[in-house]
Amino acid sequence: MTTEPALMSLTSIAQVIAQKQLSSREATQSCLDRIAQWQPRLNAFMAIEAEAALAAADAADADLAKGNNRGALHGVPLAHKDMYYEAGKVVTCGSRIRRDFVATTTSTALQRLKDAGTVRLGSLQMSEFAYGPTGHNAHYGPVHNPWGLAHITGGSSSGSGSAVAARLTFAALGSDTGGSIRMPAHFCGVTGLKTTVGRVSRAGAMPLSQSLDTVGPLARSAEDCALLLGLMAGADPDDPTAVAGPVPDYSATTTGSIKGLTIGVPTAFYVDDLDSEVAGILDATMAVLKREGAKVVQVELPDQRQLTAACQLVLAVEAAAFHKRWMIERPQDYGPQVLMRLQNGLAIPGVTYLEAMRWRGPALAAHLAAVAGVDAVIAPVAPVAAPTIAESDVGNSPDAEAVIQRLTRFTRPINYLGLPSLAIPTGFTSSGLPVAMQLIGRSFDEATLLRIGAAFQRATDFHDPVPKFA
Amino acid sequence: MTRPTPKEIGAVAAVAGVSVGAEVATRIANSIGPAFEGFAAVAGTLPFDLEPATFVVAQAGKASK
Repeated sequence: MTTEPALMSLTSIAQVIAQKQLSSREATQSCLDRIAQWQPRLNAFMAIEAEAALAAADAADADLAKGNNRGALHGVPLAHKDMYYEAGKVVTCGSRIRRDFVATTTSTALQRLKDAGTVRLGSLQMSEFAYGPTGHNAHYGPVHNPWGLAHITGGSSSGSGSAVAARLTFAALGSDTGGSIRMPAHFCGVTGLKTTVGRVSRAGAMPLSQSLDTVGPLARSAEDCALLLGLMAGADPDDPTAVAGPVPDYSATTTGSIKGLTIGVPTAFYVDDLDSEVAGILDATMAVLKREGAKVVQVELPDQRQLTAACQLVLAVEAAAFHKRWMIERPQDYGPQVLMRLQNGLAIPGVTYLEAMRWRGPALAAHLAAVAGVDAVIAPVAPVAAPTIAESDVGNSPDAEAVIQRLTRFTRPINYLGLPSLAIPTGFTSSGLPVAMQLIGRSFDEATLLRIGAAFQRATDFHDPVPKFA
Repeated sequence: MTRPTPKEIGAVAAVAGVSVGAEVATRIANSIGPAFEGFAAVAGTLPFDLEPATFVVAQAGKASK
């Protein structure tokens, strides 16, 4: 192979390993070489398990030589956000409190990828307890953006965004409760899929908010996200909220044309107060979609500020409830910003929380009625490209929550509604920072989003460039 | 619905079993206050027989439009 293996897509590397054109050891060593080069600059990995990864790769190669192909990702090395339990492994959740926590079970999502044959490279950095949108971490330091080391990655799946962008892993699991997959996808220039609430089991994934948490992948393309979703989705006896029923062939949907599809662009909120470069990229993205055969129309959505507020109320209460014991026993072991945000949940009466939960059904129904005439909605993930680590290091300052809310204003309404959303790279700013748009779909219609995303990526190359190691 | 005052937050937090000082209560009030204001138009307006499970019904596409 003349191409550096780590630079290949997930779909391609899986194919060449299965066809014995490349060994799992070669693919794994290629990733480990890039990790050794980049990790000192990015801080993307929480743990690197080089020896174990190579041993697992050798075992995968031996199995394949005997004709035993374990699955669609046989021998493919991956690393995931350090909140997915794997029995016998330390899972820090990005925290001091769980620095030495050893899981006794394996998360369903992770187990399904392991069953497909993956090799574990290690674990990826994240915001403490997945409660932060920037990528700062008071205990383990910030994760750096490979497109500009002084800039944030976004969070909370900070290591996942950074590592996929720098080609240290072919893909990574993230989680999205208020934007934690889409923000790193946007800031780091990778493709990220926030799944519908109930699409992928959350069993064995660290909880933040039981009503809002979703499991999903960050990868280099919509095609790669489709492959991963197809392996992970579906019912799970360990998570009754995981919806039963057939799982679509997501990979098959990515080959489809978008001719005849209608894509809505909101008339307000998502197009207000955008950075001029982000606004220009939104216009250019719509032009590409039209050129590929889609019809783009304006849609008038219900008041998104109310959805954002409801999301904040639900998240704050549920997170505080999960953390109450440690808030009493170990408050000093939280980072200042995370503790501050957990304390917010103490201020919300039970009746207010339940009103926010009761309104969720009518709010979703109103949204679905508003988008009845379109197949998906397109909107920016954030109003700006990645700010610097220094300027967004607000800690627990009085204006910290306001800064956080500004950054996540376009992602939180979607979490409240539980909808799927695919973030795809759609351009770069004049200073070379990536910008993504999100395609927002109907409940459980990830397939249409992946179809649109893949068509866009066949027509453009914004997902292809690799950050340079300078 | 109005945003809670620091004094009210101090009392609610104490009842929840996690006491916070006056400074923290003020910070919480400033942080979470906008969420109360944003939700004010909805709070107190929901029909009597609306249950949280209607979300799952809406997800399945069976909720009335």
